[in-house]
Amino acid sequence: MSAAIAASPISPSNPVYRARRRTNFVLLTVSALALAFGLFWLVWILGTLLYEGGNALARAALYYQMTPPPGADGGLANAIGGSLVMVSVGTLIGTPVGILAGTFLAEYGRRGWLAAATRFLNDVLLSAPSIVIGLFVYSIYVAKVGHFSAWAGSLALALLVVPVVVRTTDDMLKLVPNSLREAAMALGCPAWKMITVVTYRAARTGILTGVLLAVARISGETAPLLFTALNNQFWSTNLNAPMANLPVVIFQFAMSPYEDWHRLAWGGAALITLAVLVLNILARALFRKSD
Amino acid sequence: MDTSSAAVASRPAIQTAARDSARTQAAPLAELKAKLRIKGLNFYYGGFHALKNVSLDIPERKVTAFIGPSGCGKSTLLRTFNRMYSLYPEQRAEGEILMDGENLVTTRKDVSLIRAKIGMVFQKPTPFPMSIYDNIAFGVRLFENLSRREMDDRVEWALGRAALWSEVKDKLGQSGQSLSGGQQQRLCIARGIAIKPEVLLLDEPCSALDPISTAKVEELIHELKNDYTVVIVTHNMQQAARVSDFTAYMYLGELIEYDVTDTIFIKPKKAATEDYITGRFG
Amino acid sequence: MGTAEHISKQFEADLDTTRTRVLQMGGLVEAQILAAIQAFATGDAAVVAQVIDNDARVNGYEVAIDGAINHIVVKRQPAASDLRLIMAISKIVTDLERIGDEAEKIARMSKRIHEQGAHHAQRFPSIRHAAQVAVKMLRQALDAFARLDAASAADVLKEDSEIDNEFRSVLRQLITHMMEDPRTISASLETIWVAKAIERIGDHSKNIAEQVIYIVKGTDVRHTSFEDIERELRKE
Repeated sequence: MSAAIAASPISPSNPVYRARRRTNFVLLTVSALALAFGLFWLVWILGTLLYEGGNALARAALYYQMTPPPGADGGLANAIGGSLVMVSVGTLIGTPVGILAGTFLAEYGRRGWLAAATRFLNDVLLSAPSIVIGLFVYSIYVAKVGHFSAWAGSLALALLVVPVVVRTTDDMLKLVPNSLREAAMALGCPAWKMITVVTYRAARTGILTGVLLAVARISGETAPLLFTALNNQFWSTNLNAPMANLPVVIFQFAMSPYEDWHRLAWGGAALITLAVLVLNILARALFRKSD
Repeated sequence: MDTSSAAVASRPAIQTAARDSARTQAAPLAELKAKLRIKGLNFYYGGFHALKNVSLDIPERKVTAFIGPSGCGKSTLLRTFNRMYSLYPEQRAEGEILMDGENLVTTRKDVSLIRAKIGMVFQKPTPFPMSIYDNIAFGVRLFENLSRREMDDRVEWALGRAALWSEVKDKLGQSGQSLSGGQQQRLCIARGIAIKPEVLLLDEPCSALDPISTAKVEELIHELKNDYTVVIVTHNMQQAARVSDFTAYMYLGELIEYDVTDTIFIKPKKAATEDYITGRFG
Repeated sequence: MGTAEHISKQFEADLDTTRTRVLQMGGLVEAQILAAIQAFATGDAAVVAQVIDNDARVNGYEVAIDGAINHIVVKRQPAASDLRLIMAISKIVTDLERIGDEAEKIARMSKRIHEQGAHHAQRFPSIRHAAQVAVKMLRQALDAFARLDAASAADVLKEDSEIDNEFRSVLRQLITHMMEDPRTISASLETIWVAKAIERIGDHSKNIAEQVIYIVKGTDVRHTSFEDIERELRKE
């Protein structure tokens, strides 16, 4: 009986088995090292941000004082306000366009050249350098009107939001099983109602996640705003004029030789990073809850 | 044992299904009214000829079953009845499906009106991502404007007919997807009958259910046929034998034999039907 | 039946085994009848004892085959021709067992007849003739079952009237005999019952033939006239 067991290939002394175990160990170790490497840089970046910007973030003045001239005391209130305004307007413009376009692709464009072409162009836009978008808005709007404005900035941000939302909406809607659609149609439901009441509801967390990710993306974009909204030293609610915003402020302050401006720049950078982090976590938590 | 010829003449004539051999395919309905008349139906998935010249009559207020091996076209045939194929551009049908004198294949009427009269329950239970109440109310709201009270009554009626009311009456607000598989399927059936269709199409409704849920659904079908014309596709032959009044056997897109269920299962006319039913595939 | 074998080899094997057993039971029952008639003719006590003993084997067959049928029904849910075959076998087996009982009765009665005087048996060649017809009917019915031949089974039905006629003729003869010599009443009555048993064997064989027609044609021809049966068989 024991001779039979010893002869069987299922045993720890089998050389094939040992070789496999060795390979397994080597690859696991290499993967762990790679992970450590990646994490190392991430931790360093975050650590540096928090270290350098932490002090600035802790000062309450950051949140209610305007951007100061060099040497004076101040905060980032107008930049924060401006960013909030433009991100909101950009999202408000871009999201409906994105969702409707994504719906078209998923519900009506399963086949055919139009849908395929649209998807392709969308993917190109998705990875287009944001500076190109900024220059585009500059040439068609800012140059024509003759001045920078928050509208232009919001438009540029909207153009960045659209491809992201189109893509996620398309993907999330495609995940909704056809059987659900057929079940609604079988009751005599018109197509638009089936889409809005049944399919959207089924895909809502996914679509919302996509919107949050788009917001996270545009929060930190500098290049498009450089050519459209520019910057403003003061608090402004006039969308038709240049408006302060965090990314451009950071750009301006970081490149300057002034120490206190540097500190404010770090504070702004840390603020944006934390905001994006929170948005991502929110998006993930939402998505997981729906499963 | 007396076999004198005097008694012979008074003996009953032979009660046999063999007499039916003189009848045509539409004959089982000779005494019954046909709800759906299918004539020369051909169906294509792109270039693939899935249904070949199918003709049969579906009798009113009876249960008709479609049986056959995988890929024989029984689900395809079922889905032509409520124009479900219209959702997919590469699928097309040619021929006639007459209901109340109108050809469903070529009608210019809005398809959703057809689908409101011909309800469908699918193989996989598909409750909408809404509360149980809303699942039922959704279909009703499409065509009727009921007060809250009337809607409550309708929901209760539908769930009652589906033998689900007692199990969910205290949790109508809960999501339809929180129910067990068998309950979800009965919810889908309740949803289908809430709109009071004339025909109910069931596409393998029990294949995802355990035996007890299956038995409950079969009981339900038995009651439903008093009010609705029921067509059921099933790959479970014993279920077809239990549940249906008429059975159609299909193979590779063709209708091989269509007759009273007892005849199909006790003495089928075609050898091909016999082979399938007895589990012989040469 | 059917154009090919079942996908399940086990099912095929179960059906074959059951069919074979039925034929074996039939063969045994046939032998019983022949032995019983021999006992009637010769009064041989050993033969009588053998027939009576063998009846237990016949009964054993009935129980075993019915058990096998239950097994097939619960496992396979047979349909169409398989269903008809199973239902028919169940009934055929009942008829065979009754034939076996009749043969045993003939043997017992023969014993009593010969105790009272063997010459009675010699007087009735028509009984032996009837017995031969009965055995022929049984053999033909079983053969029709083995080959699933409906035409051959239909012929069996024809011969039943011959046995009935023989029985009536024997009855008349024995009644005359009893009226002539009242001392023979006891033995004559036993003889009548032997004739009756043979007539019943004919009926049971007819039942078996009717079941064979049901298997092949799907038509239940019990309690119908022979003309109707002929017409049915000529169709299809």
